[in-house]
Amino acid sequence: MAASCVFRLGLVCWVFSLIFCDSAKLSPPNVVILFADDLGFGDLETYGHPTSMTPNLNQLSASGLQFMQFYVASAVCSPSRAALLTGRYQTRSGIWPGVFIPDSTGGLQHNEVTIAEMLKAVNYQTAIVGKWHLGVGQGGKYLPTNQGFDEYYGIPYSHDMCPCQVCFYPDDHCFNDCDVQYSSCPLFHNGTIVEQPTDLLTLEQRYTAFAKSYIARSADGGKPFFLYYAYQHTHHPQFASKAFRNTTARGTFGDSLAELDWSVGQVLQQLRDSGVADNTFVFFTSDNGPSILNQNRGGSAGLLKCGKGTTYEGGQRVPALAYWPGKISPGRTLSLASSLDLLPTVANITGAPLPAGVTLDGVDMSEMLFHNKASQRQTFIYYPVEPNPKVGIFAVRYKQYKAHYYTQGSKLSGSSNRDHDCRNSAPLTHHQPPLLFDLDQDPGERYDLSVDKEYSALLQEIAAIKEKFEAGMTWGKAQMNGTDTKVEPCCNPGCSPFPSCCKCGTSGVNFIQV
Amino acid sequence: MARSLAIKCIFLAFLLLFCSTHSICAKPNIIIMMMDDMGWGDLGVLGQPAKETPNLDQMAAEGVLMPDFYSANPLCSPARAALLTGRLPIRNGIYTTNEHARNAYIPQFVVGGIQDNEILLPELLKTAGYKSKIIGKWHLGHQPQYLPLQHGFDEFFGSPNCHFGPYNDKGTPNIPVYRDGEMAGRYYEDFIITPTGESNLTQLYIQEAIAFIENQTRSNNPFLLYWVPDATHTPLYASRAYRGTSQRGLYGDAVRELDDGVGLILGKLKELGITKNTFAFFTSDNGGALVSKYHGGSNGPFLCGKETTFEGGMREPAIAWWPGTIKPGQISHQLGSIMDLFTTALNIAGIKPPSDRIIDGTDLLPNLINGTVNINKPIFYYRGNEMMAIRIGLYKAHYWTWTNSIKEFDKGVDFCRGENVVGVMTHEQMNHTDSPLLFHLGRDPGEKYLIGNTTEEYKGVMPGIMAVVSDHKKKLIPGEPQLNMCDGSVQNWAPPGCEKLGDCLPVPPSHPHKCVWNH
Repeated sequence: MAASCVFRLGLVCWVFSLIFCDSAKLSPPNVVILFADDLGFGDLETYGHPTSMTPNLNQLSASGLQFMQFYVASAVCSPSRAALLTGRYQTRSGIWPGVFIPDSTGGLQHNEVTIAEMLKAVNYQTAIVGKWHLGVGQGGKYLPTNQGFDEYYGIPYSHDMCPCQVCFYPDDHCFNDCDVQYSSCPLFHNGTIVEQPTDLLTLEQRYTAFAKSYIARSADGGKPFFLYYAYQHTHHPQFASKAFRNTTARGTFGDSLAELDWSVGQVLQQLRDSGVADNTFVFFTSDNGPSILNQNRGGSAGLLKCGKGTTYEGGQRVPALAYWPGKISPGRTLSLASSLDLLPTVANITGAPLPAGVTLDGVDMSEMLFHNKASQRQTFIYYPVEPNPKVGIFAVRYKQYKAHYYTQGSKLSGSSNRDHDCRNSAPLTHHQPPLLFDLDQDPGERYDLSVDKEYSALLQEIAAIKEKFEAGMTWGKAQMNGTDTKVEPCCNPGCSPFPSCCKCGTSGVNFIQV
Repeated sequence: MARSLAIKCIFLAFLLLFCSTHSICAKPNIIIMMMDDMGWGDLGVLGQPAKETPNLDQMAAEGVLMPDFYSANPLCSPARAALLTGRLPIRNGIYTTNEHARNAYIPQFVVGGIQDNEILLPELLKTAGYKSKIIGKWHLGHQPQYLPLQHGFDEFFGSPNCHFGPYNDKGTPNIPVYRDGEMAGRYYEDFIITPTGESNLTQLYIQEAIAFIENQTRSNNPFLLYWVPDATHTPLYASRAYRGTSQRGLYGDAVRELDDGVGLILGKLKELGITKNTFAFFTSDNGGALVSKYHGGSNGPFLCGKETTFEGGMREPAIAWWPGTIKPGQISHQLGSIMDLFTTALNIAGIKPPSDRIIDGTDLLPNLINGTVNINKPIFYYRGNEMMAIRIGLYKAHYWTWTNSIKEFDKGVDFCRGENVVGVMTHEQMNHTDSPLLFHLGRDPGEKYLIGNTTEEYKGVMPGIMAVVSDHKKKLIPGEPQLNMCDGSVQNWAPPGCEKLGDCLPVPPSHPHKCVWNH
């Protein structure tokens, strides 16, 4: 009797699970990528920052998978973003050298397939909130709504690339110089500039409201969605709304981070409120290492060497958190992974076909994420922020080892950095044999092993990896070279005196003239 | 009236319920686990990339993480003396005046040790019926009068020093390992550490801890367990089962084994059902030894390491744990010091601290229980006989700066892993007393960016700091320095109990001389 009862119960469970599985199949998972700006490896409490206050990201770390060896493909914004969205190195997609500026004529080429475009093919709704930074171009042709996103709400580049005046409530100045030669920061809704200059004091609140409403709308509509939320935080000049001003021990950077943290909490809460948290893959990371140039307002790489702009660990190893209740076991992982891997991973979990006829640099992380298996990635290739086909790869990571063929400091890592290797005064240096570090034992890249004969076979192995990778690299046409003030976003096209006449309230004009 | 009676009844019922599983009624047990040279950045929960500390991370999740916790000195012996006396080393005598601002500790040729007129935590706890045991490294003196059982501990398993050696027993004797008041053998002879760093010592220390907890619980004694293993101090060691199991070599292996030890100790408390009646605290004696490169710990984002009064030298990992009393999963930014453990432990045991002397430690329990922060509490950074720096709130002012001499540095002794902040990481002892170097550790925990002495911020903050320093110095009565004299004859030639083991060595003639302290 008892046995039969257990059997029946088991049967009921089995039938239930079938129904459940079926319904899961019928509703493909949503994807949310939260992308911080210039947030360093050591900036979150869960990555060892002693004075940050990030309760929501702490919660996300505790309930998700925390990556300790996650890399972005470049140590500056635009190429890093291109790599995340296309799964390809910036050298292939042409997003080099450096970053886009407001009057850049180039942008992410339309033959490049973004995650958004990939998901459109399987009937997803797609939206981006925040910083695009992959070009505006003539008539806005490179804006997100022409790259697979149904909706866009944000500033299409860094908010220091326009004159900045007020960063903190009520009218506190910004603590960095901004690029006054350009038009004021334009806030786009889809192809329309709805505000110029953008009010930074309310920006994050509005971004967050947009993201929440998008999630709620999409969940109500029953269609799967992709939300790419690319924060302006914690890039300089830091800003924060009234609620976050002077709320942390970390000064302006801490306030900016606190607002970012709040927003992350809001997005996660909305996923729960809309009943889709269990069917949403959430990934949080940052576009590159800390901007140490800005000293106290520049973020922290923690125990890693140097920061933004360099191919040392501090430039490209960033915090990363994956969250999917019931699918991803909470914990910490040492698995090697990269922002390049997001596209193939998203393809797998959504059932979207991979872009056809395209060389991808990412590997699918699913086995590692969902089944605690080892990462398929054993190598990582480091290109400098201004790559040069004649110089090529700067460094190669293989297993726990990293070989630097070239090193160079960067002004973004500070001219007075306490580590002289990071400063812009550290010139481009070729290393033969390459500097070799064991990143497991020496994450701070202090103790060169290359002179030790024990490692000569390993160096040969790494050299072969490098050679093979470079042989397979087809350099895309550089998109960063042309500028023209005509493409600079202005809500009063043709007005004078340019660019100060580019001033509008919330009325707005259609910017995309396609 | 009826209501008050009802409340009393409920209270009594509670009391009875808990008494039966001995809690509340019994004095709470106290466990202090202090590591040796482990760095702030060695814990997963504090950002260490290597996954070596699941048990400590769990302890933090069940307790309070204190990221602003400090040692009282950047070196072993003075730090340990400070913890057990609740007093700065300059007060309790574990320092030197041979030269200005020199770190000193107690290798076996040092003549001095902890003095009888210092009152140690276990002495006080004894008055409240506690049994106390030290397991691991004592480091407060080698001669018989300085050993733990002479200073309040009921039991001792471990050694008066690190496992330096091996020695040939001619110029230098191998260091003894004690069981209570008598030696049980010597390192390298009876307690083996192989040249590649294999040893079961940590396992012994874990077993000793578990057995002590079981015994005291069985006999209903409140206890102090002072668990001070030294596997993370060079020369590093780990037992065979842990060799090669971490990503960081022998250092990481040692951390993993110690972490498992913490897990086993806390697990035993759970098994015995005494977690609600046990306060446990985890910390380290000083910063990671960056001078040991691969073989030392990580100080996370902090400047320099062991031997220095920069943050990396004295900021320690710290976790307080007391299920049912301290809320789980909290982070407290209360400034804390290992000297506070003295006062906190006394409060837990219901004992008043000595009133005939200055006690530097303050009671952290209210902060841990209520989550409040006392922002006026200062931290003093001493190196030998000099107050090098002070922290109040988020500000730290360096009155003196020194890494080490250029002579030592040129020999390869680098306490700061190749970094250089000009004018701050000085190789000369620099006196900034007239205009201290000021940092804001909230914005700049790495002590990178000086706040100029002409800024409004500096002018606004510095007078308050100077007043605290002036008051501190005015009230300071330095203790008799114990680490000035050295003598080869006081070494462990014939420790107590050596005759039973036939292990007494001939004592050479006495040649007292001033000790040389290079750092």
